Parts: sequence; C-alpha cells; structure tokens
Amino acid sequence: MFWNNIMKNRWEKKLIILAIIGLVVGSWGMFQRLAYGHLGMNYGSFVPWGLWVAFDLFFLGLTAGAFLITILTYVFRIKLLANLGPLAAFTVLVTLLCEVIIISLDLGHPLRVYRFLITPNVGSMLFWLVVFIISMWLIYAPWFYFLIREHLIAWGNDATRPGHKVYRFLALCKTAYTFQDRQRDHRRTRFLSYLSLPIGVIFFGAHGAIFAILHNRPLWNSAMLPLIFIMAALLSGGALITFLAYLYQPDDKLIHPLGHVVLLILLTFLFLEALQIFVGYQSKITGIVTSLDLITVGPYWWAFWVVHLVIGSAIPAFLLIRYPDNSKMVATACFLIIVTFLAVRLNYLIPDLAVYKLEGLQNTFFHRRLRPEYVPNLNEWLVSVWVISLGLLTFLLGTRWLPVIQAGRGEEEHV
Amino acid sequence: MARDLPAEDPLVRMQRDLKRALKKKPQDIKWGMVIDIAKCIGCHACTIACVAENKLPPGVVYRVVLEEDTGKYPYVWRRFTPRPCLHCQNPPCTKACPVTATWKTEQGAVIVDYNRCIGCRYCLVACPYAARTSDFGEWYTADTAELPGKLFGRKAAANGYEAHPATEYGKKWPERDHGSPVGNARKCHFCLHRLKVGMLPACTTSCIGRATIFGDRSDPQSLVYEMIGSPRVYVLKEDLGTRPSVYYLK
Ligand code: SF4
Ligand code: SF4
Repeated sequence: MFWNNIMKNRWEKKLIILAIIGLVVGSWGMFQRLAYGHLGMNYGSFVPWGLWVAFDLFFLGLTAGAFLITILTYVFRIKLLANLGPLAAFTVLVTLLCEVIIISLDLGHPLRVYRFLITPNVGSMLFWLVVFIISMWLIYAPWFYFLIREHLIAWGNDATRPGHKVYRFLALCKTAYTFQDRQRDHRRTRFLSYLSLPIGVIFFGAHGAIFAILHNRPLWNSAMLPLIFIMAALLSGGALITFLAYLYQPDDKLIHPLGHVVLLILLTFLFLEALQIFVGYQSKITGIVTSLDLITVGPYWWAFWVVHLVIGSAIPAFLLIRYPDNSKMVATACFLIIVTFLAVRLNYLIPDLAVYKLEGLQNTFFHRRLRPEYVPNLNEWLVSVWVISLGLLTFLLGTRWLPVIQAGRGEEEHV
Repeated sequence: MARDLPAEDPLVRMQRDLKRALKKKPQDIKWGMVIDIAKCIGCHACTIACVAENKLPPGVVYRVVLEEDTGKYPYVWRRFTPRPCLHCQNPPCTKACPVTATWKTEQGAVIVDYNRCIGCRYCLVACPYAARTSDFGEWYTADTAELPGKLFGRKAAANGYEAHPATEYGKKWPERDHGSPVGNARKCHFCLHRLKVGMLPACTTSCIGRATIFGDRSDPQSLVYEMIGSPRVYVLKEDLGTRPSVYYLK
C-alpha cells in the first residue's frame, strides 16, 4: 500500500528505477576508487583536476536555484515564487550532498578533512570555499526545516499516515503548531533568506575566485571570472528550479516569470563568455590563445559549439523567446540548459590546465600522468553516475516522503 | 686557457661551504641553487639521482630537465634547463594550501608535511613551474608477473625495493600503499635529509657538468652567493613575482 502510494506517478517510478540502476552500475567505479584510490583514474599532475571537479562546479551551480528564488522574492518582490521555497531549499541540500561526496572522492586523503578545522589556512581560497559550503548547509538545512515543520507536525499527528512516528520524531515530538509558532518560523525563514543573499553571492563568487586568483593561469586570472561563475550558477540553478517547478507545481503563473528570468541570465552569461573569449584572443598571449583554441578548435570543439552553444544556448534561447507563455517549452529549454551545462564547466576547467606551463616540458620525463591530454575514463564516469544517481534517488524519495511540495503552497502570503 | 680551469672541483668548495653553513644558527641559513645552463649537457643524471635518492614512484618527479629546440635548420641548438622546485621566496603554492600542509621554512626551503596534506592538488594547480606532482600510488612492478612460490614474482620484486619508501624529511614512512606519501602532493625539498648530515643534494653531487651549484645564499664566501652575483643570472618567469631561490646562468 505504502509502496503503491510512492509509485503513483509513473515517471517518478521510472526515474527511481533509473537511479537504482545508476547506483548499481556506478558501484563498479566506486569500488575502484575506494579499493585502489586514484590509481584507476585518468587525471595526473599536469591536469590535476578532472571530471569530478567539473561535476563539483556543476552541482554547486545547481544550488543557486534557491538563491535565485530568494532574490526574486525579496529583492524583486515576485512573491508568488515564494511557493517554490521548500522545493528550492531541498534541491540545495541534495545538490550540496552530491557536491560534498564527489569532492571528497577527489581528495587524496578524504579522511583528513578535519585538518580544515585544526590547521586552517585562512589565506587560502579553498579554505574559504569550505567555510561557505558549511555556511550554505547551516542556512538551508534549518530554512528547509522551518518551512516544512508545520506539515511535519500535522503528518506526525495523523495516525493513519504510514511512518507517522518518524514524522513525529522529525518534528521533535511536537504535536501542536500554534499561531505563535507559525509567526516565529516565518520570522526565522525570512532572516535566513536575507542571510542567504550575501552568503550566496560570496559562495558562488568564491568558486570563480579559486581559479581567478592564480597568476600563472592566464585564462582564469581575471576579475571577470567570479562574476561569470555567479552568472553560471544562477543560470544552471535557475534552469533547474524552473524545470522542477514545471514537474512538481505546474502553475503557469510560476513558470512564466521564471522563464523570462532564465532567458535574461542566459543572454547575460553568453555576453560575458563572448567578452572573455574576445579579450583573450585579442591579448595575443600564447598561453591564453592556446587554451582558447583548445575550446574553439581543439579536439573537443563540438563540446563548445554543438553541446554548449547550439543545444545548451541557441535552442533554449529560441524556445524562451518564441514561446514565453508555453510552460512546456520553457521547461524544455531549461532541461536543455541543465543537461549541457557540464560541457560549460569542463570548458572552464580543463583548457587552462591542458597547456604546458614551461617550454620544453613536453620533451622530458614521459609518463601518462605528466601529460596535458586528459579524457575522463570509464571509472571516473561511473563514479559520477553513482553520485548523480544517489542525488536523484534522495531527491525523488525526499519529495515523496517529506512535505516538500505541500509546504510551499500559500507561502507567498507570509512573505 | 689554463687560467680558465677551476683550481678545485666546485663540489669540494660547495662541500666546504655546506660545512660552514651548518655551523650557523638554522634561521641564519638561506639555501639557494644556481644552475648554469651553459654547462648542462642534458644527461638527465640529476633527474635519475633524485628519483633514486627519494625512491620516487612512476609519475612522480622532482627535477626534470627541460629540452628546447632553438634556431632553424641547419643552425639548430638544443637548450637544457634543469627544473627542480624553485623554492620561491614568495611561493603561490603555500598560499593555496587550505590546511597549511606546505610552507616555506625559515631556511627558505618549501616543504610538504605528508601527514597533514589532504591531497586536494590545489598547490599543483597554483605552481607556475609544474614543480609539484601528485603520488597516485603507481608501482614500477605493477606489470611484473606474479609467480606464486617462485623467488621472482611481482611481490618479491616490489618488496626488494619500492615497497619501502625513502626516508624523506628524515622520517620513516609506512610501506608503500599504506598511507602517505601516496595520495599526497610531492616536490623537491632540497634533500633536507642529506643536508642535515652534511651531504649536498643528490642532484648537485650527480651533475657531471658541474652545472648545479648549491649552498647558503646568505653567505658571502659561498660559491652560490658568488654565482648569484653574476651578470648572466636570471630566474624563470620573473614577471610573476615568485622570487625563486633557484637561479639560472645564461
Ligand atoms: S616552484 Fe612551485 S612548488 Fe616550488 S616553491 Fe615555487 S610555486 Fe612552490
Ligand atoms: S595537495 Fe596537499 S599540500 Fe597541496 S594544497 Fe592540497 S593539502 Fe596542501
């Protein structure tokens, strides 16, 4: 009965099966990683960061949906979008979970992460990134909790509901939800929303800063990079939340304004990207031009021109401009943006690494880990599939078992 | 002509310089290196000596010799530039490390604490000279056939040599594959373990062209100090402001 209830949506059932298959298939890669460390992976010392770091950036971008909803609700006063609050907050928690798992797997010694606490280097951008990842957890976990608490209590009180004892436990055994409780929870969520604005800007910008501060990386070393990373996060996160809104709360009043916002961010992002490429080529600095050539005319030119520009930008832009009032088209456009965004992340990450940093390095000490050519191998893809499947399964089960959708309804009245 | 020949082998003088340096207070020593590329013949002996001294696994290398072709046929040359870690006085790698696992000692050597390093590889990305490599846990004997019961199988071959890491930084490291330095960032450390016992770095003693000069760059009597004063001196990527402690002579 309970299981039937879960399976009531056929596409959800299919996705759950897909996620389970992904977990099973991906476990081969996980086994390789956990048993043999980094031995079975293709990255090396010249391209030290590969597919998993690109996925890390991808996941972190997806967390920006909640940030966008907060901006639109509290800064631009589109209060209706507040209904998406719990869904957006839950998405943040799931994507942050995926991000933390994949980046931990990328570390040589993941069990030493406690070092961030006992021997921190406050001068390192990577340290600050970890601080902001923790801050995101500290903001969005309670935010989500306070948004759904009323429903948790109600579900805990409903003895006919399967698992009501678990809900009672999650509600910290509270059985009554008074008017004062509601007021207090709204005050708390509003405070956390305001707090998420500056933290979010710094968080998404800090990602760009990790790369931008490196003097020796001419393609990255620009003040524009953090801004591009913020826009990239808003674009992929905004597209994700619009797509999810279409699936879970298919209300035209919600989808249409989001479609306009995604289009605006997409065009701004493309403009910034074009500027970066133009300025890079005009600088005529060998390192920059070689890296840019790798993006535009290198062996993976199609990832830039076909995947990113045609499928991930031109077609979505066309759909969003041509059919702004058709929710299905808006959702399709957003879906295309999300699935192609990994190509954007890889194109930011790999080309600067894939250029010899010293003349003559190519003629010395041959070893596959000391080469700038990098193509992720099957193990790396399988681990990524495992992490994505885990995230997908957590998301699907979470939206079924927690009042993620129910709690959003009527939220705009409280903003 | 005879006037140009050195009166003594530079190694003898460097050895004397080292003895003198070791008598100073540790904080008063500033290690430095000068590499005369006019003398380098591209034999790669320093690379091999370093690999042997530190028992470096496949894919890990501290000192490579860059090889560049210059000119146009038939007037072509080959230039050799040995590149250890340059022990920058303003090192971007140490600033990048989120857990202070790598730092510049008061004697100017940039080192890594293998037990602290989490293996994030940010320092590899930050080093402008590609002087850091990560230990991915590779074995030279990985493809050796295993012959159970026979004397020379993969395990026996590995146990004879590479299973036991070198005593880098003067410490005993666990058997290979049982923790650090596998999974860590690794780099040249100026052979601090040798210096401590009065021996010059392995690259310096093995250099048959005597192209590598090592010593206390704050000691006006030392050969390295004298060489740094040469008008031929330059450093790699000076514009980045890393201020290397490894200098080159044109
Ligand atoms: S050469 Fe690279 S590894 Fe060595 S000190 Fe300079 S930045 Fe650090
Ligand atoms: S790889 Fe190790 S030494 Fe390098 S930045 Fe990361 S923790 Fe620091």
